[in-house]
Amino acid sequence: MGTPILFGVRHLSPAAAYHLRRALDAAQPELVLVEGPSDLNDQMKWLCHPDTQFPAAIMAYTKEAPVRTILWPFAIYSPEAQAILWANEHKVECRFMDLPSSVFLGMRPGSGEATAGPVVDGEAVNDGPDDHEEPAQTMESIYRRLETLTDEDHDTFWERTFEQIEGGPDFHQANNTFGRQLRTASVDDKRHMAETIVREAHMKRVMQQAVDSGIPEEKIFCVCGSFHVAGLEENQPMTDEEEKALPRADCCATLMPYSYYRLSSRSGYGAGNKAPAYFELLWDALNRGGPGETAYLYLTRLAAAHRKAGNLTSSAEVIEAVRLADTLAAMRGSKYPTLSDLRDASVTTMGHGSFSELALAAADTEIGKKIGFLPEGVARTSVQEDFYRQLKELRLEKFRTAELQRLDLDLREKLNVKSEQAALGDLRRSFFLHRLRVLGVHFANLLPSRQDGVNWGEYWELRWTPEAEIEIVESALMGETIEGAAAFALKERADNSGSIAEAAAIFQDAFLCGMPAAAAHALSVLQGLSVDSAAISEVAETASRLSLVVRYGDLRRFDPAPVIPLIKQLYLRSCLTLTDACVCDAKAAPEVTRAMDQLNALQLNHDFLEEARWLDLLTGISDRDDLNTRCSGFAMAILLERGKADEALLSREVARRLSPGVPADLGAGWFEGLAGKNRYALIARLSLWRQLDDYLSGLDDETFRRALVFLRRAFADFSPSEKNDIAENLGEIWGVSPQQTAEVLMNDITETEQTVLDSLDEFDFDDI
Amino acid sequence: MADKNVQRLPAEELYQKELDALISAETDTIPTGWRMSPRSVLTYLTGNVKVKGVDITPKYMGNRRLVEIAIATLVTDRALLLIGEPGTAKSWLSEHLTAAVNGDSTKVVQGTAGTTEEHIRYSWNYAMLIAKGPCPEAMVKSPVYRAMETGSIARVEEISRCASEVQDALISILSEKRLSVPELGLEVPAAKGFSVIATANTRDKGVNDMSAALKRRFNIVVLPTPSDMETELDIVRTRVAQLSNGLDLNARQPDEDTVEKVVTIFRELRGGATLDGKQKLKTTSGVLSTAEAISLLANSMALAGSFGDGRVSDGDLAAALQGAVVKDEENDKVTWKEYLENVMKKRGHEWLPLYRACRELNG
Repeated sequence: MGTPILFGVRHLSPAAAYHLRRALDAAQPELVLVEGPSDLNDQMKWLCHPDTQFPAAIMAYTKEAPVRTILWPFAIYSPEAQAILWANEHKVECRFMDLPSSVFLGMRPGSGEATAGPVVDGEAVNDGPDDHEEPAQTMESIYRRLETLTDEDHDTFWERTFEQIEGGPDFHQANNTFGRQLRTASVDDKRHMAETIVREAHMKRVMQQAVDSGIPEEKIFCVCGSFHVAGLEENQPMTDEEEKALPRADCCATLMPYSYYRLSSRSGYGAGNKAPAYFELLWDALNRGGPGETAYLYLTRLAAAHRKAGNLTSSAEVIEAVRLADTLAAMRGSKYPTLSDLRDASVTTMGHGSFSELALAAADTEIGKKIGFLPEGVARTSVQEDFYRQLKELRLEKFRTAELQRLDLDLREKLNVKSEQAALGDLRRSFFLHRLRVLGVHFANLLPSRQDGVNWGEYWELRWTPEAEIEIVESALMGETIEGAAAFALKERADNSGSIAEAAAIFQDAFLCGMPAAAAHALSVLQGLSVDSAAISEVAETASRLSLVVRYGDLRRFDPAPVIPLIKQLYLRSCLTLTDACVCDAKAAPEVTRAMDQLNALQLNHDFLEEARWLDLLTGISDRDDLNTRCSGFAMAILLERGKADEALLSREVARRLSPGVPADLGAGWFEGLAGKNRYALIARLSLWRQLDDYLSGLDDETFRRALVFLRRAFADFSPSEKNDIAENLGEIWGVSPQQTAEVLMNDITETEQTVLDSLDEFDFDDI
Repeated sequence: MADKNVQRLPAEELYQKELDALISAETDTIPTGWRMSPRSVLTYLTGNVKVKGVDITPKYMGNRRLVEIAIATLVTDRALLLIGEPGTAKSWLSEHLTAAVNGDSTKVVQGTAGTTEEHIRYSWNYAMLIAKGPCPEAMVKSPVYRAMETGSIARVEEISRCASEVQDALISILSEKRLSVPELGLEVPAAKGFSVIATANTRDKGVNDMSAALKRRFNIVVLPTPSDMETELDIVRTRVAQLSNGLDLNARQPDEDTVEKVVTIFRELRGGATLDGKQKLKTTSGVLSTAEAISLLANSMALAGSFGDGRVSDGDLAAALQGAVVKDEENDKVTWKEYLENVMKKRGHEWLPLYRACRELNG
């Protein structure tokens, strides 16, 4: 009667993976047990699929919102992954033995964190202590102490001490001893300790079940974090009642591709894997000829990356780096250089002493851009399935990389291709990307349009990250496909929207996503909301959004018919309320004039909106004296632009508005409104400037000061060339030619002029 | 042994006891031409241990890893180039490295605008040359030449201040590891253990930039300014103590408070911000290196010892600070005044006497 073989590992350790395979070869077990969620054994066969490329992760997520997820990432050099692969190759049964994923999710309620990192790693279950009483000797504090003692960070300590052990049995023993001593030395907070005990009891239970089913104990091979070895030797298996009492959350699981980048940034302290690409090199080196190969692999690859980034790196420098790294390792007492030795050596020889020169190449060599891939048919959520199917169909697969890539879309129908599918290819891509955007999946980012008013061009930036994949999985709660989920999300948003602007935005999203049903729903919500009173600016904004859809709807194959009645309704409403809105103070006036501008464009764009009503309304506003003069002025400007006001009317209005006796702020405010639009037409009318000149010269000093404030504001957003034109106009009126002006300006400033100019410096508009 | 009355003993004599202890305690293998193993060299430089009852004082405080890289470079018989701001202990480190490795830190070529190729290679004793013609006795060997013959390490200080043809003379020596003397028909091969430690100043960049060919022959280690306040305080404290013993300054050690004040002022003006990072400051034209802080303190001790009561007073300190900070009359004076008014004045009563003393000097 033997005991099960307990092989303690460090998660994501190439040496552990390598020696584990040798140990498995030697032991020839009948059952391999791996630390992992015991309810997800069926995911293993996909990890063993020949087309699967690591890194990949098993992900479990709760079925109710807010979605909580938990991840078990595997790299090619993970001992767990290698144990599973070995079992598959040798037709030996393999099972997970840790707590089921449902229990993990059940035990950590309401954490709200997107990923529950702890299970990523059994050794370092430290992710932000929940309990405030921090015990003196947490695992982390022991790692820190090790760091001060060895004067090296923990990764380097581990690499030097364990990764370089060359004998299999030695490694096994060293690792188990390390785990055992770590266990004796550390006291984690109660919650973690309890969790560890529960987990170990469960593992023991799975072992016991295997023994009960008739497998001899010595033929069971357990792969677990070395920290757990002692626990598995001592603890009792979990009883049936205890097992039943475990908290559980309703959850699903799926497989997802993973990236080295995420592996490097997310891993917990102590089980860290800051340099996944380098660890893969270690793994390759072990399988090629031993740990000694690593230095050559790393340095040549680094040099290649450095050259690719446009730098000169000679082979001589690489050779010197190898020699220096070896010497550094020897000074630290290890046989082969570690990553820190290699990096320091390359900085000294290739980087001229500064790391920043090599940073780019180092990131490429140490972290890498690798992302995983899963074959078709893998058990994943239907939304993921749909995502990948569409990626393929829309030929977006080349964008599934860790690098940011640009994608420019031309939404117009291409007439020179055969199938309809291809003709509208870019449009369908746009629909797809907009749907992802609506779902909050950060795969594609819409860039602002480069040219105003070009509606057929869309510019995107695409990058795949595991986070995006998680977001896709999370949207599985909303529907079976991307489209379905997006429709659900839009409907939910529409039902919760409280203002017409909000509803209009949702409608526009639905329109961009090419989802008529969702758009119709948003529209009905919008209709319902539009009954309530709303500010004129909001109504105008909404109407112009809808107008866009009517005008460019066919570009996106959208039938605008249902939108037209609503636009009519909003238009009418605006016409009825606009006059009242013009009774406002100077602060609110810009908003009203903006709404007027939008309504004007709306009316111009759509024949189905009555023109006469609009013109009458504008004439009324322009004529009245009791409204905000800026609004009146703006109405005049629109009429002028549309050719509905003649020279005589304009000059009469100017004379009336800018006559002495009218308070300066009102007159200048009116002019400000008039200048808000259609400037070239104004500049071209010399008579207008003459009148303005007469008006200004008629003012006394006090009123002039007041008028100045408004006029200054009115001219503030004129462009320099426009101001120049106005100056020339005034010159003409005053009988000064440009040449004369230039001549005067070129002369030296006299003293009296200087004093006048200096006194102007102290002029402060705030004083008025 | 050397006369104790010299102003400054070379490192190997000053620390002979420590070196002897390390050599006698040696257990590791020793590279050819070296006096002790690389690990003992490291111990000598980083210190803070007792070897055979002898306290090893730390020589280089700061990043231990940089020292490791420097030593490892010498083990691989590559030439070593130490780069850094003025006063970051480049020459100091190079002197102690050679003292530990060879027990001889005196084979130095000082790089200046006037350094010629002969200083790197060899020159002649002209009287003898005329009398006897070219012969080995008439030759005056350069420090580099002697280092090649004996298989030891030569030092080239401030290499970027030498003209480029002088720098180029080093290239052939470093790559061929031979030196030819055509007058005598000689080819002198470098004995095992030969290497070169050069230092260069980042502030001198562009004076005589090193060629790529020469740079390629060096392993480059960049020495940083002390990364934190504690390290710098440590360095200043230790060095001031060592200096005052050597110089018979007749003054008491400046107290902890004074050292801290000086280091604080230096770090703040150097970094362009107050230590808490809340206030931005102008920087001065000078570097305000750690080495300057050390000499500043020694300077004020000299003032106190010779003209005062042996205690470093705020007046002494203020005078020394004035000299160290205000290097360029116009700009630095403004910077220094602003610092006095905006930072020092508001630091509370502990700083008040120093502030007043500084204020007096600046009117």
